[in-house]
Amino acid sequence: MPYLRMKFLIVEDEEGLRKSIDQYLTAEGNICDWASTYEQGYQKLSIYDYDCVLLDLTLPDGEGLQLLKHLKKINKADGVLIISARNSLDQKIEGLSLGADDYLIKPFHLSELYARVLAIVRRRNFNGNSLLRFNELEIDTISKETKVNGQLVYFTRKEFDLLLYFMANKNKVISKSAAVVHIWGDDADMADSFDFIYTHIKNVRKKLTDSGCKDYFQSVYGVGYKFGEG
Amino acid sequence: MKLFTSYNRILAVITLTGLLAIGFLFYQTLGQYINRQIEDHLYEELLEVKDFAHVKNILPSPDGFNDVVVEYKKTNMVSDSSKLFADTVFYNPKKKHKESARYLKTQLVIKSQPYEIIITASKFERQEQIKSIILIILLPVIVLLLVLWLANRILIRRMWLPFRQLLTTIKAFNINQEKVFEPIRTNIEEFKELNKAILDVSLKVKSDYREIKLFTENASHEMMTPLAVINSKLDTMLQFNNLGKEESEILADLYKATSKLTKLNQSLLLLVKIDNNQLQAREEIDMKTLLEEKLSYFHELIQKRNLKVKTEISEFTIYANRSLIEILVNNLFSNAIRHNYDGGSFQITLTEGTLIFSNTGTQTGLHPVKIFERFYKDNTSDGTGLGLAILKQVCLRQNYKLSYQYEQGQHQFKIIFDSHENIF
Repeated sequence: MPYLRMKFLIVEDEEGLRKSIDQYLTAEGNICDWASTYEQGYQKLSIYDYDCVLLDLTLPDGEGLQLLKHLKKINKADGVLIISARNSLDQKIEGLSLGADDYLIKPFHLSELYARVLAIVRRRNFNGNSLLRFNELEIDTISKETKVNGQLVYFTRKEFDLLLYFMANKNKVISKSAAVVHIWGDDADMADSFDFIYTHIKNVRKKLTDSGCKDYFQSVYGVGYKFGEG
Repeated sequence: MKLFTSYNRILAVITLTGLLAIGFLFYQTLGQYINRQIEDHLYEELLEVKDFAHVKNILPSPDGFNDVVVEYKKTNMVSDSSKLFADTVFYNPKKKHKESARYLKTQLVIKSQPYEIIITASKFERQEQIKSIILIILLPVIVLLLVLWLANRILIRRMWLPFRQLLTTIKAFNINQEKVFEPIRTNIEEFKELNKAILDVSLKVKSDYREIKLFTENASHEMMTPLAVINSKLDTMLQFNNLGKEESEILADLYKATSKLTKLNQSLLLLVKIDNNQLQAREEIDMKTLLEEKLSYFHELIQKRNLKVKTEISEFTIYANRSLIEILVNNLFSNAIRHNYDGGSFQITLTEGTLIFSNTGTQTGLHPVKIFERFYKDNTSDGTGLGLAILKQVCLRQNYKLSYQYEQGQHQFKIIFDSHENIF
């Protein structure tokens, strides 16, 4: 949960990417450790426990999937999110069948990464507890219900996904671009549907404020939105 | 012009001119030979006349000759005693018609009286002889030529048979298919060589094509990591507390460009993937359900642009790869929405084996072939220019017939899933 301190391991050889992830995750009060090679990753995974491991599949001295195998062999309960440049179905299936929790394809947005990591941690640590709370707002990630002061508010599937996405990344600015990818995925050739996200956010805001919720959304000069207090 | 026709044309010109030249020369030689024979004969007759005149001192009677006509004329002066041979036409009193003939003209002095003697012999019979000789020689030659021409025709047709087979296999060669070029069987050295050359070329083309695809794939993959870095840095910058309006606008533009680049890269990778037949697992897909799902998936976009959607969807199940069919339908939807104008309309028609998307649009009729080319797009389009190319590639791979036409203000994309293996 965002309220708790979490410990992550980033196994990624691309320094620029590693630093950004590190920065984004630690800003929320989490602890980040990193490894840039297979060997480093192997050692850290063997010694420490992490809430979630962010695993790049192509490392200069080995295959990320081997690290995943090793992790499962020594019976660690760390969550694993694979980050790969290859959008290959086979690799995805192999990774998931080896025990990875999720598979994220490069390039991704940090907000997307964080939302996925949180989902993994939520699933693993709080069995059955699927509630996310933010003041008077409460959403259930399994039954996909939203309540304001205990009262149900109805959202469409996409609106719900969007709200959950913003809540997971509370106090962070999420770019329109990231929101579009989150809602539409990669399949649709809708790279130019940025403006459309505005309509969605407007609807979500209206539904929330209509049911007595404070407006937690802030627009950031047309580049994105932020969900949070103040 | 066919090779055989061209060959025949040249051959015909050569044989005809050859035949004419030889015939002419032959005729001339024979003619001269016959002239000489006649001249000998005329000369003999002249000698007889001279002998007679010498012995009897009078000229022999002109009626005493069998096959020549002899005429005497008194002349006054003796010009010279030379003999003159020439051709003429004379009236044959026996046959009662004119014939070509040859005469000998000379002078003789009997009892101090000079006479001009003309001895004429008909050439008719000899000419007939020449005609017969020429016919006897030329006819077989012409027959021989005809036989040769026929034999040539049959032979060439038979000998070029491997060439035709080769042509058929070359035409059937497809760079996109796994099947390699199939060499034909022949004993003729030239065709064997051609066969081998084409086989080599086809293998080279295939391997080059594979390499290009591999290069595209690798290049696109390699770009994903730097793109991930750019994206993450942008996300990091976005969190800065002191972002002003100007910085934010720059960031927004950077985001747009980056996501477009990402999309472009993903589309290129997808094209390679479809090309490589990497999406093969097939299953039954209920097209009606899929279309309805997608319609609700695109619902907000359709609503925002205020598009009127008409649907005519009947039950239809297809046996295909789900990812490919989803890509296909997604692209059809994206296309119909993106290139529409606000308040326009589009219609989806699904019947047994045929799917039609028609939409109003900002443009009028587009080029039915170019529209499916990679990076073909109008200036107003903000897309990657690969959507329809992907659509085409999917259809090509699945043997679906894809066509575009513009009719009554409607851009119509039609897909026929007619191949039997595709229909469940």
